[in-house]
Amino acid sequence: MTQFNVLLKKEWRENFRNYKVFWIPIVFILFGIIEPVTNYFMPQILDSVGNLPDGAVIEIPPPEPEEILVAVMGQYQLIGILVLVLAYMGSVAGERKNGTATLLYVRPLSYRSYFLSKWILASAVGMLSVWSGLLAAYYYTFLLFERVDFTKFLKFGATYSLWILLIVSLVLLMSAVLPNAGLAAAGSLLLIFVFQLIDGLLGTYWTVSPLKIPGYAAQWLLDGPKPEDFWWTAGIGILLIFAMILAGIRSSKANASKTKV
Amino acid sequence: MNILEVDKLTKRYGSEVAVSNLSFSLEEGTSTALIGPNGAGKTTTLSILAGLLKQTSGTADWKNHSGIGFLPQHPQLFPWLTALEFLEMAARLSGIAAREARSRSIETLQFVGLGSALNKKTGTFSGGMKQRLGLAQAIVHRPKLLLLDEPVSALDPTGRREIMNLLKSLQHDTTILYSTHILNDAEEMTDQVLFLRRGQLVEQGSLEEVKARYAEPNIRIRFQDVRSAAHFVEQHNWNARVEGTSVLLPLGEAGPRMEEVLSVLSKDATAVSGIERQQATLEEIFLKVAGAE
Amino acid sequence: MDQTTLVLLLLPIIAIQLGLMIFTLVDLVKNPNPNGPKWLWAILIVFVNILGPILYLVIGRRNY
Repeated sequence: MTQFNVLLKKEWRENFRNYKVFWIPIVFILFGIIEPVTNYFMPQILDSVGNLPDGAVIEIPPPEPEEILVAVMGQYQLIGILVLVLAYMGSVAGERKNGTATLLYVRPLSYRSYFLSKWILASAVGMLSVWSGLLAAYYYTFLLFERVDFTKFLKFGATYSLWILLIVSLVLLMSAVLPNAGLAAAGSLLLIFVFQLIDGLLGTYWTVSPLKIPGYAAQWLLDGPKPEDFWWTAGIGILLIFAMILAGIRSSKANASKTKV
Repeated sequence: MNILEVDKLTKRYGSEVAVSNLSFSLEEGTSTALIGPNGAGKTTTLSILAGLLKQTSGTADWKNHSGIGFLPQHPQLFPWLTALEFLEMAARLSGIAAREARSRSIETLQFVGLGSALNKKTGTFSGGMKQRLGLAQAIVHRPKLLLLDEPVSALDPTGRREIMNLLKSLQHDTTILYSTHILNDAEEMTDQVLFLRRGQLVEQGSLEEVKARYAEPNIRIRFQDVRSAAHFVEQHNWNARVEGTSVLLPLGEAGPRMEEVLSVLSKDATAVSGIERQQATLEEIFLKVAGAE
Repeated sequence: MDQTTLVLLLLPIIAIQLGLMIFTLVDLVKNPNPNGPKWLWAILIVFVNILGPILYLVIGRRNY
């Protein structure tokens, strides 16, 4: 427990002093605001950009507020994930590669505390980012369009949070397994996008898969997913997070000897 | 009492042998220099002893597992932590309770000469300051065994002097094993020397032993002037060599016995100002050992 | 819709982008050892919206 507290403090100082605690949520908030605002101005934008003949009138029905929140999530699926992957790709691999880990590993280090402290901080920043970003999007959508049912929104946010925790766990695991930060990022992104592609192409054949979590999150804003499918999927997602944490602890320990001396 | 026993320690990377069949022991309270050129296996050996690397075969047994301090050649510090924060973390990870960790960290930082940089971020530190903080983290938990990888080779002469003095003040309470390729340093602080070449221990023993083993059976005779020196060499067919006002003379198989020389010299004692036995320096021994195939 | 509403709507976006840019530029100037030439980072931060500052923070900053 002592080691865990000490290492958690170290991770907190790193995230705070490298400003990750601030700028990552700010990026999420920015994209949360941009989406409703651009949607609001879409008619004007189309009007000024499109070279339509004079007098032509474009009729676009205003988007449903739920669609805007789903579009924000779509942004996070690309830019949000990219930011989190880049920010945490070096968590373990970077420390080994630059040799800062050496002075930790020579001590009787608890690798469980070591990996968990990193996971907790990265997850906390991930959660802070997602919730502040989604709340900003919710507020702007309310201002410019209509109010979305708040309970539905909470279910949406909570489900998407589970997805972000999966992403964070994967990045940290890759960072513990692979020899450097760049490979950890490439490995994480490759896995995320390849699996999503597979699920996108063949996903109609099954209903329970961690890759459907973002899809189910979006469904909460409408009629909600089928409870059975949702809970099995969420359960598997949580188990997967646990499994990745355990694997991360093991590989941190196994790869400790690869630290630069 | 031996604090560390190393037996047939071997480390292979694939087919490449980094360290081969190393056997030695460290007596408590002594200092041992691990000497060898770059790539001889010094860092590998120290990394195994520090528990960072697993050996392929062989054993390294030490009496007190937690009591190890390790200073890598280029200690890498977290740049966003201050010296005190870093050292406190190191102390606590080594099992020291919170309150004691703080007081001991301050004490240790003062000891290594960083007393005025307690709250400076290590990212702003110079090479010498990093080395000092590196040493501080190696000794903050008062280990019985200190492993130092080239502790002074990256420093300028002043810094080297200061760190050597710090190490010397730790010398007798702590067992020290350090690697170096700067032999003057080794000569200063060594009870035992280990010569490593291509992963193998080619020579080991106490400093005196090794020196005696490699001591050239030479004597140096100092004369009052160049003329008497030259005269001495001309007179005897002894394979002697003039060096300024002195003569270098091999004894034993290659030359005369000591008594012969003394009796010759006593006939004209006024020309002689001194006679001394040649001490081989570690540098010379090292060249000999390293050069031998 | 009048001008004031427009400005009020866009203000947070502009403020965040500008804030991120200025913050990153200040950090770049103070950075003793960025990963890459400073002038190149400065150009990226100023001209590549959002992504410039993000790239600097994750790759260029080197966590000093």
